[in-house]
Amino acid sequence: MPSVNTRAFFSKMDRAKYISHLDLNHCIQRAMKRSRLPIWQTEGFNPHTYVAFMLPLSLGQEGVCEAMDFRLTEEISPDEVMKRLNDSLPPDIRVLRIAEPKYKNTDITTAEYRVESDVDIDKFRSFTDSEQILTEKKTKKGVSTVDLKPLISMLTIEEDAITLRLPAGNDFNINPSLLFEAYKSATGEAISRLRIVRTHIFCADGNEFI
Amino acid sequence: MSNKEYVGGTEGMKILDEFLLNIQKPSRYIGGEVGAVVKDKSKVDIRFAFCFPDTYEIGMSHLGMKILYGLKNAVPNYWCERVFMPLPDMEEEMRRRNIPLYALESLDPIKDFDFIGFTIQYELCYTSILEMLDLAGLPVLASERKELTPIVCGGGPCVCNAEPIADFFDLFFIGEGEEMNLEVMRLMEQCKKENCTKDEFLRRAAKIEGVYVPSLYDVDYNEDGTVKSITAKETAPKQVTKRIVRDIDKMYAPESFVVPFCNIVHDRAVVEVLRGCIRGCRFCQAGFIYRPFREKEKSTILHQTKCLCENTGYDEVSLSSLSTSDFRDIEGLLTDLTEYTSKNDINLSLPSLRVDRFSDEVLKKITDVRKSGLTFAPEAGTQRLRDVINKNVTEQNVLDSVKIAFEGGYTNIKLYFMLGLPTETLEDIEGIYDLAKAVIEQFYANPNRKKGRPVSVSISLSTFIPKPFTPFEFEPQLDEESIKQRQKHLISVANDKKISISWSKYDTSLLEAVLARGDRRVGKAVYAAWKKGCKLDGWDEHFDFSKWQEAFRECGLDMAFYANRQRSYDEVAPWSHINMLVSRDFLIEENKLAHKEVTTPNCREKCSNCGVSKCVGGDICRAIR
Repeated sequence: MPSVNTRAFFSKMDRAKYISHLDLNHCIQRAMKRSRLPIWQTEGFNPHTYVAFMLPLSLGQEGVCEAMDFRLTEEISPDEVMKRLNDSLPPDIRVLRIAEPKYKNTDITTAEYRVESDVDIDKFRSFTDSEQILTEKKTKKGVSTVDLKPLISMLTIEEDAITLRLPAGNDFNINPSLLFEAYKSATGEAISRLRIVRTHIFCADGNEFI
Repeated sequence: MSNKEYVGGTEGMKILDEFLLNIQKPSRYIGGEVGAVVKDKSKVDIRFAFCFPDTYEIGMSHLGMKILYGLKNAVPNYWCERVFMPLPDMEEEMRRRNIPLYALESLDPIKDFDFIGFTIQYELCYTSILEMLDLAGLPVLASERKELTPIVCGGGPCVCNAEPIADFFDLFFIGEGEEMNLEVMRLMEQCKKENCTKDEFLRRAAKIEGVYVPSLYDVDYNEDGTVKSITAKETAPKQVTKRIVRDIDKMYAPESFVVPFCNIVHDRAVVEVLRGCIRGCRFCQAGFIYRPFREKEKSTILHQTKCLCENTGYDEVSLSSLSTSDFRDIEGLLTDLTEYTSKNDINLSLPSLRVDRFSDEVLKKITDVRKSGLTFAPEAGTQRLRDVINKNVTEQNVLDSVKIAFEGGYTNIKLYFMLGLPTETLEDIEGIYDLAKAVIEQFYANPNRKKGRPVSVSISLSTFIPKPFTPFEFEPQLDEESIKQRQKHLISVANDKKISISWSKYDTSLLEAVLARGDRRVGKAVYAAWKKGCKLDGWDEHFDFSKWQEAFRECGLDMAFYANRQRSYDEVAPWSHINMLVSRDFLIEENKLAHKEVTTPNCREKCSNCGVSKCVGGDICRAIR
């Protein structure tokens, strides 16, 4: 069966940030079914729509550059695919662009985040200026201590938002919330508002993931 | 922590964002699902908060809610939203932050709505209703809510005896809600324009067929504690008659569901195929209160199935009714449905099959039934007792069915029984074991049985709970000691590794029996129990029976009076001002037949003159045609 590899970039905002990654999978599968797009199904005992997600987003975080891959078994214009998906998706998940995949998810190395928060800007700046930012990171093997300082490849702190770039990918991923957890435990300050939006995903060659 | 007052909408969302990530499964509390109806508030005249007094996962599985949600939202200037009972972690945060109970679509506080409507599916949710009203910031007693809005209303099977919760509600919907919900909403539209008082609204609502306004009825009691009389005040009808939908093919049926993000109990499309039941099992309330029997046309069911699957994206659909195998042309229906479902990779499941209609053909068509276990409900262990309860199933029916099941590869059979049925003796208890043993023998009689996987039979015992509007509404519930003695007896005779026995907690069944047949005074105990912290009583981990016992004691009420007392035929029932169409004479006659061990044929074989046809007109009941 001929099939066209297709990548959809989508946003996951507002209420949709509370959809866990596993539930997102179900949600997208059902949206695909509702869209009646000719999407390739896995074969075998329990056929289902094949969708692969590039980089899971943590529960509670938003994203404007999320990507998923699927295969179309007929040629359909990208505009039509986008329209039919958007008609079928929950209101807070929007497909922004349909493209032919260029990079593989293993090419991903970093991601950029925009964080809106009620942290004290000056305290946060002096905290991130310190030599080391040690924090505990949970991995499959257990809890290990990491120094976030050398991992932050970009950081701008402004009144309305903090922008930062961190390692991302399936092998090594740093969740931006770790930095804020570290800040909380180092300073004893509380953070009541923490809105994290993933704004860009980058590949090893420095280009944006497309 | 924000100090801003919670006003809902997008501002409300910001406040929820501050803590929702610390809550278990937050997507339950935020709405935004596909199929959720969002309207422009400025163009809406009537807002209805549809409340399910249990968790999101349970409430979202309920078909009745989906029907009424869709039906109300189909009216452009009405907006119906969903509300569920938050679990303790969420509720605690809401109370700490002064966030009142809000509706999932708009996130707006429900205290500002025109209606707060509860669907009341089981007695053990009564305290959750009070908890939700309180969390909304409203007085739980109807008499303390003076304004026209919100009107607190309720519907569902429990309201056929709503007396134990009558003090908390402004009105109840008796019977099928499809038409009267809209009529009452239209009345509210009118009353708001006319600036009516709440009393005026209620007086006018009471004139709508099926609407029960409890404050318009006075109850007097005899010295022995039984009800002496129930008197209608002013223009309220002497008896409130159950409402039914006369044409269920033309009746509104949802063509789309709200599709949840997280897993819920029944996460699939559900299509109703028939209403009512032809069987007349004497313990079963649903079998009587949902009469008359009406089935949809095959083409209607097929159309609704297609619409639902296409609009929801579900890959599983189930047929819903009290007894799907009693659909007249079940084989034809399954042929048509499976033609559609198999072409579209959709699984079809049939939850309520009766053992005696469990044919080979039917089994073959339900491709998806998992091959691990099957459940049958013979309800009683001997033919004599099955005749008493009018469960027209023979041991041979059960064995024939399990034979087919075993040949189909099943190895685990679950058998449901009730303990404490009227006239039950130890011989009937031993019959439970004999039946389980016969099932096992049936397994070994099958030459093609699966080798290596042993057969097992799980016996599940519940305690019989007499319910209003059944022939057993007069019967006592057996006391705890006798139930325990019967459990012990069964365990002592059923000494077999292939048989496992489990039973429900007596406390829960006792409370259910009390609330099911309680009078208006029981409301005081419901209130007291809630004040002591009772809520989510249907959940073992939240149920605290000792608080209920204290509550009844403090109110001077005796649980045994309501649950364990034989009631005479001429006693005035607390629900005698409610007419569920089935006549009291018929129930008495059926009760007498039960004690004579005489069965009543099902409605398709012979009309037993239950009284429903006389009330609604002979052509509505479709059991015989």
